[in-house]
Formats: sequence, structure tokens, C-alpha cells
Amino acid sequence: MHSAERKGSGFIKVRPAQMTLKSFWQRTRITLLALGASILCIVVLLLLFSNAFLDSLKLFFVVPFANVYFFGNMLSYAVPLMIAGLGAAFAFASHNFNLGGEGQVYAGALVATVVALKAQGQGAQDVLTVRLVALFAAALTGGLVGGFSGMLKRRLRVDEMISSFLASSLVVFVVDYLLAGPLKDPNSNFQATKTLPSAFGFAKILPPSDLSVSIFWTLLLVMLGKLVLDRTSFGFELKVSGANKEFARYAGINGDVYSVIPLVVSGALHALAGGVMIFSTYLKTIQGFSAGVGWDAIAVALIANNNPVALVPSALFFAYLDAGSKSAMMGSNVSTELVTIAQALVFFLITATTLPRAFGVHNWWRCGKARAAEEAATKAAQGPQQ
Amino acid sequence: MNFMNLATILTGNALEAMTPLLFAAMGGLFTELSGALSIALEGYMMLGAFVGIVAAASLHSVIAGLCLAAFVSATLAWVSAKATLGLKANIFITGLGTNLLVAGLLPVLSQHFFGTKSVLSFTLPTLMHPFSRTMAAVPFLGQAFFSHSVLVYVSWLTVLAAWVVLYKTPVGRRIRACGSQPEALRDIGRKPENYQIVAAVVAGASSGAAGACLSLPLSAYVPNISSGRGWIALVAIYLGSRRPGRIMLACFIFALAEGFSNYAQGFLQVPSEFVLAIPYAASLVALILGSLSRRRQGDWKDLH
Repeated sequence: MHSAERKGSGFIKVRPAQMTLKSFWQRTRITLLALGASILCIVVLLLLFSNAFLDSLKLFFVVPFANVYFFGNMLSYAVPLMIAGLGAAFAFASHNFNLGGEGQVYAGALVATVVALKAQGQGAQDVLTVRLVALFAAALTGGLVGGFSGMLKRRLRVDEMISSFLASSLVVFVVDYLLAGPLKDPNSNFQATKTLPSAFGFAKILPPSDLSVSIFWTLLLVMLGKLVLDRTSFGFELKVSGANKEFARYAGINGDVYSVIPLVVSGALHALAGGVMIFSTYLKTIQGFSAGVGWDAIAVALIANNNPVALVPSALFFAYLDAGSKSAMMGSNVSTELVTIAQALVFFLITATTLPRAFGVHNWWRCGKARAAEEAATKAAQGPQQ
Repeated sequence: MNFMNLATILTGNALEAMTPLLFAAMGGLFTELSGALSIALEGYMMLGAFVGIVAAASLHSVIAGLCLAAFVSATLAWVSAKATLGLKANIFITGLGTNLLVAGLLPVLSQHFFGTKSVLSFTLPTLMHPFSRTMAAVPFLGQAFFSHSVLVYVSWLTVLAAWVVLYKTPVGRRIRACGSQPEALRDIGRKPENYQIVAAVVAGASSGAAGACLSLPLSAYVPNISSGRGWIALVAIYLGSRRPGRIMLACFIFALAEGFSNYAQGFLQVPSEFVLAIPYAASLVALILGSLSRRRQGDWKDLH
């Protein structure tokens, strides 16, 4: 298959390197196009499916900013998205695909809850240490789940995309089972664990919303991620081995290591996101509470083009869409899945390397002559074969 | 005698469960061989399941439902392939996008037209073949092999059809060339992209039908009805080394696991979550074992 990875073959190019080669400006244009298209898509869908178009428009786009409660909750949802998005970005940067985010977030949340509940049961008083240990245990679990796919890829050349998806689905069933049976709170009607005392949660900074100090820690973590990816030899080797395996081998980089470690880091960060969700918002693991975070994280990382700093606005954008859809659902007849459709549009457009010609958009964005010259050059390069 | 009964029931269950897997895997085989990864099988199946049952109920015809399911999914596949090529986008990501699109669209449509996002049930005629009553009376074999809906037998024919098309026709040869030697196609003045689109449309149509095979026998649409079968079909393609016959065998093994788990739910005191997890676990184990045996044979080809 590697022989087929040549420029200009579109569909055939299975693992394109264009993400790193693309110029900043072209990248920005495509990102803006994807974001604009997703907003437009939501407006059109509301027009089609809402019985009170203007009301739902207002509910979707304005209400998330209307009061402290909605605004704080929106920011609060951006926190796990940033952490999990950083995890997705680590995997993408090394051209590994971690599709197991859903299970890793869910498992991380459960492990964090269980560890904290155990500590509480044994009378632990030092809330800070408990939280730290619980989050570490969560990250360890996620790292193991991610590392499992990494090891399968390294040792057996099992495709990490499929193995991480399957492993994560299994993890979801196991967690579901634990929440319905052994770890269920017997005094509750929910399929959920016992609730932690609110002292164990992060300090709230914008009551009555759920926004907590975890947002500051998360911003620090994102900065750390940026440093590791862009300013250390580890990050450099990781990106090089992702962009071009052959080149990495000639440069003496142990490529095998970089198919395992990014997946371990990715799994750990996803699970950490789950743990943070517990300590900042839920204080217990409820069946299915984190559904969708893993896919959101992939979208966030794609929009940010694996740049940790760009994860912040990107996560805020998705948190905004999420908050908008929830508010629109409460106030009118539209369902929250609207956002998933807009998200799908982002997936379609975000890795585009040329703008859609069918709509004539390229004429606005790019001078026609430059395009013609480029096409002529491509033709000339392919000439001898045709 | 008891053992024979059990074997009969298990084989019967497995054959029923194999039908959607076979349809999806045969469609996915086309895209696989054309050099693209059919990650969107799951999405096409879900769409097919929804469209199939709604069309069958509103047109009062199961056949029409099946055809429309295949047609709509094929259209989605065509649009997504065209978009991927036109934008020169990453096929993995657009495949995930297709899955997400379906996952978002179906609840919205269901809410809009039926007022609910949960189960939709309809009354439909069954699809038993005309001789099912008499054939089922054949001892042992009747229950296991001859008493299913027509879809089961059609799915067996798809395997034959896929083999004939892929290995005995020019189009099939070019689709395979598209994955292994795209330069050769260019040399004879064909565009590999066009064959990839053809393969994607076949995959869409086939997995759309696979989805309809899930909802039509149930006479109901359940959210997340395909529950990972698109991915399992993908694993079956790998395990079957991209050969129609071997893929059928792999599908049968998965179906046996699924049929057994459905049966076991009745009498074993196993939590339902574990039963639901069996197909995923089976695929993961199968994926690992398949890779191990491939390594032993020294066939270290990358998966794509």
C-alpha cells in the first residue's frame, strides 16, 4: 500500500502528511470554512425542524451567554474537552488514531470515583491528596487501555484504530455492568455509584454554575502539552515518526516506541478528563454520563490541528455548541443530536486540502491563475504515465 | 437428542445473525480492495435500518424497503466519496464524519416525524420463503437451514456475486488493481478514483441492505440497532484475508458467538452487559489471533 501513497491520488492516500505540510493561511481558511459551515448547518436544521425558528435560534446562540449559570456550565464542559482533546492531539500528532476515547473517559471517571470513595470510606481527610491519587489512578487506567492498543500495533501490527475502538466498547460494557451491579449505590434509583461529599470536589469559582478551579489546572496542562510537543526532543521525534516513518528510521528514531507511547499518553489524558469531570461536576459516576466526550475530543483536536494552544478556542467552540443544543432542547422541540450533524460537517471539511470547486468557492479564495498554474504543474508531473 | 436440538438452535440463530454481517462485509470488501478503508459501514447500516423499515411500512412492501435502504445508503456513500475526493480530505476522518452524520440525523428525523427518539415499531409481513413450512419439517436440518427468511438466502448469494464480480469481471479486476497497483490503472488510461467511487457505492448499497436485514425481521427500529456490527464486518474482512469465501467463514464464527450469546441470555445467569459485549470481545480476540497466525506465516503485510 505504501507505494500508493503519492501526492494527488486523493482517496488512495491513506495516511496523508498534508496536515503538517499545509501552510498556516490555507489551514486557517479551511478551519474558518468548517466552523462557518457548521454554524450555517445548525441554522438550516433549526429552520427545517424547529416549530418556532426564531425562538430556537435565540435559545441556541444567545442563551448560553445569557446568565452566569449557563455560561459557567459551558466553560465547565470545555475543561474535559481540552484535556481529552490534548489526548487526541497527542495520538494524531504521531499519526496514531485513538478511537477509544469514549471508553477511556468513562473508565477514568469510574476509577477516580471508586478510589475517592474508598479513601473517604477509610476516613481520609486530606482532600487534595485523595484527589491527586484518584486522578493518577484514572490516568494509569486510561494509559493501560491506550497502551494495550499500542502494544498490539507494535507487536502484532493490529490496526490501532480498530483495536482501540473495540477495546473501548468492551470497557464501556464493563463499566456499565459495574454501575448496574457491584458498584451501584443501593439507596439510589440511578445506575450510579455513591456520591462523594462535595468537599472532595474542586472549588467552584462561578456559583451557581459547575465551573471550578480545574480550568486553571487544565490551561497549565495544555501549556505543558505545547511545550512537550514543540520544545522537547520527545515531541519532535514523535511528530517526525508520525509524519514520515522511513525518514524517522534513517534519523535513528525508534519508531516502534512512538506507536506505543502516544497511545498511552492519549489514553491517560482521556481518562484524566473523565476524572476531572467527576471532581468538578458530577461527584459520582452515572451510567452513560460521558457519552460523546470521546468523539467531541477528536473533533476538538482536528479543529486545533493538533496544536495544544488552539485546543482552547476549539474546545470552547464545541462547548458552546453543546450548551446551545441543550438550551434549544429545553426550550423547544429540537433534539440535541443537531450538534452531532454539525460536528459531522466539521469532520468532512477539516482535513480538506483543496476547497470545494463545485461551489466555485475557490475563485473567491484563491486567484484563478495560480490554480491553473498549479494544475498544469501537476499534469506535467504525471505526464509520462498517461 | 438434546445435544442435537441445541446444535440445531445454535446453527439457526447463527445463520440469522450472519445475514447482516455478510451483506456489510461483502460491501466493505469492495472498498477494502479498492484501497480505501470502509470505516463508515456502521453508519450506512444504521441509515439502512431506519430507511428500510420506514419505507417498508409506508409502502407496505418489504422488498421496496430493502431496495430503498440500499439506495439511500448508496447515495450517502456516493456523496461522501465524492466529497472526500473533491476536497482531497483524509478518508479516515470523513468516514468517522459519515458515522457521526447518521448518528445525528436519525434521532432528529425520528423525533420530527414520529415524535420519539426511542423504539419505532411497525407491522410488516414476514419474509418467509414459500416452502418454509414444509422444509422446516425436515428433521434437524429443516430447523437449522431451511426455515429462515428470504434475506438469509439472498445474503449467501451476495458472497457468490461478490466473488464473480471481483474476480471474473473487468470492473472487479480494476477495483482490485485500484488498491494494489493504481499506477497500472493510470497506464491504461483509467482513473483509479472512479473505481474507488464505484466501490464505495457498492459498499453503501450492500451495508444499507445489511441494516434493513436488522430492522425488517424485528419489525422495529431501535436506536443504535447495528451496535458495532459494521466494525465486526470490518474485522471479518481482515480475518478472511479479503477473500469472499473466507470472509463468509469469519462472519459465521462471529454470528455463532452472537447467536450463542442471544441463546445464553435465556438460561445462563449472566449479566446482559456481558452478553452484549461478546461480539466485541470475539472480534478483538479474533483480530489478535489472526495477526498471530499471520506473523507465524511470515506474512507481515501492513493492514493497509
